[in-house]
Amino acid sequence: MDITEAHLRSLTKEVDEQHRDGMAHLPEQIAELHRGEGRRLLAPPRPGTLIGTSLVVGALTLPLAAAMRAYAADSGDGGVAAFAESVELAAVEAYKAAAGSGKVTTPAVLEAATMFAGHHAEHAAAFGAAAGSAATKKPNPKLLDAVAGQLKGAADQAAILKIAFDLENAAAATYVFALGALTSKAALQLTASILPVEAQHAVVLGTVLGLPGTAYLPSFETATAAVTPDKFPIG
Amino acid sequence: MSDHDLPNDEIRRELREIDALQRSSMPGFGAAVRRLFGDAAYSTADQSNAVLGGLSRRNVLRIGGVTILGGAVLAACGSSTAKSVSTSAAAGTTARSTAVTEAGKSTTTAAAGATGDVLILRTASSIEELAVAVYQTAIDSGLVKTAAIGDAAKLFQAQHKEHSALFQAQTKAAGGTPFTMPNPAIFAAIKPAVAALKDEAGILALALELETVAAQTYQSNVGTFTDLKLNAAIMTVGGVEARHAAVLAGVLKQVQVPKAFQVTDKATKPGTGV
Repeated sequence: MDITEAHLRSLTKEVDEQHRDGMAHLPEQIAELHRGEGRRLLAPPRPGTLIGTSLVVGALTLPLAAAMRAYAADSGDGGVAAFAESVELAAVEAYKAAAGSGKVTTPAVLEAATMFAGHHAEHAAAFGAAAGSAATKKPNPKLLDAVAGQLKGAADQAAILKIAFDLENAAAATYVFALGALTSKAALQLTASILPVEAQHAVVLGTVLGLPGTAYLPSFETATAAVTPDKFPIG
Repeated sequence: MSDHDLPNDEIRRELREIDALQRSSMPGFGAAVRRLFGDAAYSTADQSNAVLGGLSRRNVLRIGGVTILGGAVLAACGSSTAKSVSTSAAAGTTARSTAVTEAGKSTTTAAAGATGDVLILRTASSIEELAVAVYQTAIDSGLVKTAAIGDAAKLFQAQHKEHSALFQAQTKAAGGTPFTMPNPAIFAAIKPAVAALKDEAGILALALELETVAAQTYQSNVGTFTDLKLNAAIMTVGGVEARHAAVLAGVLKQVQVPKAFQVTDKATKPGTGV
């Protein structure tokens, strides 16, 4: 590896410290979701929004995933947040499984994976809080099954990292979709604060893997790899 | 730091091919939008891949010994920028700065009656155009000695052009007049930093700061649009700026994922400079 373990470990430590600093405001942000404008998260979507429409950019149309659209129409922002919570918890479990597989042999990589798992746990907590009574506090079962199967078949550390890389990109893509379905300001802003972090996780994993830049530097984020409720119901 | 190990000849050959391919596949905004929607036939993936052949982890990390510049170069470019910038401040001695200032003047009237969405979109395209200009300055400066970094600058610049095209088209769609010049307010704020650039590390630090400002600005816009469709649209760009920032931070040996939640303390307010 070209990146030294000491350097990666140092970065991990720094991130963790900053991360904890950032956490200081999370409780009040979550409280805002419930006491402030975010109260609408728990209510059905208001009429005349994106639900049932498409995302039109310029003269072209990006169809919202029918599943996400229908899901949002049925369950409101709270349902979308609950779905996101399940995706994040699946990511947490995936990282735990990866760490416990014995295939991740580089301590610094293990530390980075642990840190990313911590981020996902925080994302899950935030989405769970936003989901209110819709929250399941459980990892998305189908997604977890799919990733667990991949992890089981992974031959080595690189294969595990590639699975994590794909998972991070899928999370970012999922939030592109979610941003097209959510309606409350609080839910939108929460999602917008998480999408870039998943994207940056992907960059780190892509660079550690030595992937070509194209794999982690698209011109635009897309929803192509999104995890959708029709294929991965929260159960 | 040496670039002897980089496959420069191959990169340059690929760049020529990429340039030709890009020119042929970029007749207008339609191509850029098709990329946005993931049409593989129009994807820049292969082009980017070739361009970034020299920006693999091996090469990025080999140039990672650069010194990190202290302080936030664009710290003054946040919400206070609009108040601090005047026409005279933006007016520089170079043609570029003059053009920027003129653009700021000429579009002020158009912006005056703009809706919130239009104001956000005009600000966004102005930030993208600024990024394009800054990367061009970096490319032209002669200070970038590492081929992989030069190639990355070109790729990032090309992507910012596409982002600007998207925002300009959205501005039109929203009934506004697109802002097509680099943001004059931010330009004025970073001008001293640009003038003081003396090495590759400084350029990287400036680029990182600019990418961070862009990423945080777009995040801060989410939830404020009248047209809810724009929430997703702007983050298709915001996520990419965050990726750029992570790459640059890695080269500078800074933290690539600073927090579990991206913050907006460096975001630029809608309307700043436009």
